[in-house]
Amino acid sequence: MSTFFPRMNRLELTRAIMGVIDDDVLLVAGIGNAGFDLFTAGDRPGNFYMLGSMGMAIPIALGLALAQPERTVLVMEGEGSVLMNMGGLATVGREAPPNLTIVIWDNAQWQLTGGQPLATESTCDLAAVASACGISETTTPADAPAFTSTVRRAIDSPGPHVILAKIDASPAAGRHHDDPVFLKHRFMQAVGIVPD
Amino acid sequence: MPTSDWRQDIVDGLKANNICTIAHVSDRVLAPIVRLVEADSFFRVITLTREEEGVGILTGAYLGGRRGALLLQSSGFGNILNALGSLAIPYQVPFVLLLSPRGGFAEHNVVQLALGKAVPSISEALGIQMFEMTTPEDVPVVIDKGTKLAYVTRRPVILSISTRLSGGAANR
Repeated sequence: MSTFFPRMNRLELTRAIMGVIDDDVLLVAGIGNAGFDLFTAGDRPGNFYMLGSMGMAIPIALGLALAQPERTVLVMEGEGSVLMNMGGLATVGREAPPNLTIVIWDNAQWQLTGGQPLATESTCDLAAVASACGISETTTPADAPAFTSTVRRAIDSPGPHVILAKIDASPAAGRHHDDPVFLKHRFMQAVGIVPD
Repeated sequence: MPTSDWRQDIVDGLKANNICTIAHVSDRVLAPIVRLVEADSFFRVITLTREEEGVGILTGAYLGGRRGALLLQSSGFGNILNALGSLAIPYQVPFVLLLSPRGGFAEHNVVQLALGKAVPSISEALGIQMFEMTTPEDVPVVIDKGTKLAYVTRRPVILSISTRLSGGAANR
């Protein structure tokens, strides 16, 4: 484990996000703990949860941000999923939607499957990857207060932004709904879209 | 109104159905279509790193009220299976998969055979409908009715550009 950053807590940071965003910010959560802690921190119609499709949260948020340029979109995604679809960061860099903020939860392991260590434990810096993909607004906050102010700044300024949060491996307490069509309809209603 | 160019008819048919987000991993068949959509400001064209990304982007676009199409080869169809199975299908997200099939008529590369020939049975197993365009006359009706079917059934449809129509993606 890296000792350069004190490990923060994902649920605490998710609650911090909920505390600084406006009601109309659209939130997308990747598979697993990102979604579970979003549910616990504050379930709301404007949250979109994935149930599978590992790696697709950032592309979903990108498509949403391009379709809804007046809305702020924030996606929370685990480092394992980012590693699985690292090309997605290149596409975000190229498309460069100013209304998109990406939060990467990095505890350097596949936490849900037993803590197998990942490349971010040692050799891979996803903030550097994002930066090399042309996402210039890339930050690795050192502690929870810095994380909170970074999220607030990201939402208030043109992006895309990537915020890499080094977190601990505390298990998620809750579980979100698991009916995909319900989750989709509820979210689209929050966006103001009638499915066609 | 059909034109003398079936590629333009594809683009016109997508546009008439308000398909405005185009995600693609191009090939020799798809490249002229990509050029046409890139020249039309109606479309937002996104070059992917991998086809699977396109399923995510089109899902996000749909959640945000925009319709889309993913342009891909049959090889790329192999790259999107889990995203179809665990995102587009269960969440009931419609879009067009505009397919350039490999492995059949006019193929020159043996490694394209297996997946190219498997696309119909894989799509059948997934419950995704597939319609083929084999002549220029097929194009307007397949694009229009196929696209409408995706949105009525709330799932992706495959609209396949037969190599009999395109001449294939072979480079020799």
